[in-house]
Amino acid sequence: MLDTDQLIICEHCDCVYHKVPLKKHQKALCQRCGAVLQRYNGMTLQQRLALSITAGVLWLMANFYPVMSISLKGLSNSATLWDSVLALADGPITFIALVAAISIIIAPMFQLAILIWVLGFALASKRSPGFITFMRWLESLRPWSMLEVCLLGAMVAVFKLAGLLDVLPGIGLFALAILSLLMIRIAGRDIRELWDALP
Amino acid sequence: MKSAVTEEPPVPAPKTVKTRRFSISMVWIVPIVAVLVGISLVVHNWLQQGPTIQITFKTGQGLTANKTEVKYRNVVIGHVTTVDLSPDQKSVTATVKLSKQAENFAAEDSSFWVVSARIGAGGISGIDTLLSGDFIGADAGQSKKRAKVFTGLETPPPITYGEPGRRFTLHTTDLGSLGVGSSVSYRKISVGQVVSYQLAKDGKSVDIEIFVHAPYDAFITDNTRFWNASGVDIEAGANGFAVRTESLSSLLVGGIAFRAPQYNPNDQAAAEDKVFELFDDEQSALAPPKGRAQYLVLRFEQALRGLKTGAPVEFLGVEIGQVVSVNLDFDAATRSFPVNVGIVIYPQRLGQAHTKMLKELRHDPDDERNAAELLGTFIDHGLRAQARSGNLLTGQLYIALDFDPKAPKVVFDPTARPITIPTIPGSLEQLQEQFQAMVEKINRLPIERIANNLDANLVELHSSLKQFNKNTLPGVQGTLLEVSKTLQSANSTLADDSPQREQLTQTLDELGRMSRSLRELADYLGRNPESLLRGRPKDAPADALKPSRN
Repeated sequence: MLDTDQLIICEHCDCVYHKVPLKKHQKALCQRCGAVLQRYNGMTLQQRLALSITAGVLWLMANFYPVMSISLKGLSNSATLWDSVLALADGPITFIALVAAISIIIAPMFQLAILIWVLGFALASKRSPGFITFMRWLESLRPWSMLEVCLLGAMVAVFKLAGLLDVLPGIGLFALAILSLLMIRIAGRDIRELWDALP
Repeated sequence: MKSAVTEEPPVPAPKTVKTRRFSISMVWIVPIVAVLVGISLVVHNWLQQGPTIQITFKTGQGLTANKTEVKYRNVVIGHVTTVDLSPDQKSVTATVKLSKQAENFAAEDSSFWVVSARIGAGGISGIDTLLSGDFIGADAGQSKKRAKVFTGLETPPPITYGEPGRRFTLHTTDLGSLGVGSSVSYRKISVGQVVSYQLAKDGKSVDIEIFVHAPYDAFITDNTRFWNASGVDIEAGANGFAVRTESLSSLLVGGIAFRAPQYNPNDQAAAEDKVFELFDDEQSALAPPKGRAQYLVLRFEQALRGLKTGAPVEFLGVEIGQVVSVNLDFDAATRSFPVNVGIVIYPQRLGQAHTKMLKELRHDPDDERNAAELLGTFIDHGLRAQARSGNLLTGQLYIALDFDPKAPKVVFDPTARPITIPTIPGSLEQLQEQFQAMVEKINRLPIERIANNLDANLVELHSSLKQFNKNTLPGVQGTLLEVSKTLQSANSTLADDSPQREQLTQTLDELGRMSRSLRELADYLGRNPESLLRGRPKDAPADALKPSRN
């Protein structure tokens, strides 16, 4: 039986390769289809955990501070992410509100919570309780987390409304922007290295 | 020298390498910064958060949770977080989060009201709320005590934001057409307004609070009189008709005017919250102070049509009071209906006479017994009340207190209360009596005898005239003929061709000639005066005799 730990399979064409240690600015490509197999990951566990905690704080800020406030001739209004979900829930498309809530609030929240939990134990070179479940969850939550979509939508709204109303981006919007960038970095595929790191 | 043999270079002791279980990476700065930013935001928010108060309103009109703002001078100082029905469902409670700098708006005496577009007598306000939605207006109180629950005002207070000026209280019997917002004018310039009014505790009068704006409040002095300048004041009294109006706005919404009397020595600015009396009209307001009132009763035995409450009471022509009641009474003894007239007089209105009288008689104006005795002496001297006609057009009566020495003596009871002044019939009544007396006198005249005498006289006259006709007239005719003749002869004498006239002409010619020769002689003598002695010289030329041209 071949030691499968050191093998890697191309996602796109199922070619099997040996893992190679990579240096900075290096990446391994599939010889058959040219897809990226491996990327240099310069982030230590500690850094990843630190960024996860940062993301957690930003998530709190994005959810409790208004994303933007608009005003028109003295009539003003401001909304947090949760307000927008509630506004959707009020209308006839309550189901969409559920989707929105999952994709912009709940999914990122679970992602961050699991990351911090798993990485916290990983820092002590231990598998956390429920490691296998959580690692699978992380994979399955990734497509549901649509923070960057929400950010784009919010920014489109800001730019579109700017001509009609006085639009003031709030703390929530900035937190959301940083959070979505951080999420790309910390909740990416390379989290699977933990499988190897924690036997 | 074993030691020398075994001498070797010393081997350094193996160092113990300790691996720190956790090496702290610099990356931890990132979450720390994030947490710090988060904490600072929270702390900032917490510091910004002012007190939370609850305001109850009658309705929740215009109040929206998380949207309605609380403003002071149009600056947002808080916002409504929830709007709930009160447990007893009689009011609406708005929970308001005030900002930190608006902390003193939680003072006990702060006031809150909903600002919405309003059209009132004073104009239109709050137009901007049509677009922005209603907001809660606030005015900070001065109290040090903080409160949690406030009662919202239904209407915006007219004076807010510590506007400079002063408040005064006016005391009146009824509100008339005044209301909150009615203007207070000084010489017909609007200088303030009515802020509030309330019934006195006993329900017998009204206290009106007014606010006078800053530079004008100095014109309110201790002696200032306020009067109700509302509407049109038409008065038909014993003094005739009078129509008075103030400005158009006070005509519509009522108003108060004030002024100090013209002669006003030692006057000084009034203190804040001083209580003034509000008079019904300018005339009564500017009248000299009435002083102490004295109630008197008059009992008339005649009908008093035209005597109304408010009719003036005059003493020797000076108005000193007014009629306060006119009541019919029944006299059981005489089975008649006398009229009881209650009057109030203000002796102080007599001015100098009053002060002199007090001084002379050492009379204490507060002692009613004393006053009764004084009146008693006056009545002994003939003081009587009389209802007189003040205005023939309107038939209004007034009461005159006059001394009538011919009035029949009356016994005055100084202990009776109220003090009663005896009366004499009214002037019209007197006129009727006099007329009656005259008619009676005429009746008593011996008209028949006079007529008889007159008839005899006429007969005599008739016979005299007959005699005149018979004897005297023919003589007169003869005389007239004679006169006619005389005139005719005079006429013929003066005619042109009469001999007398011709002779007269000749005589005049002669006279002319004579005067000419006399002049020649005089001329000659003037030139030759010596000829008077020597006679005429022989060689004298003939033309020397000619009259000189000079």
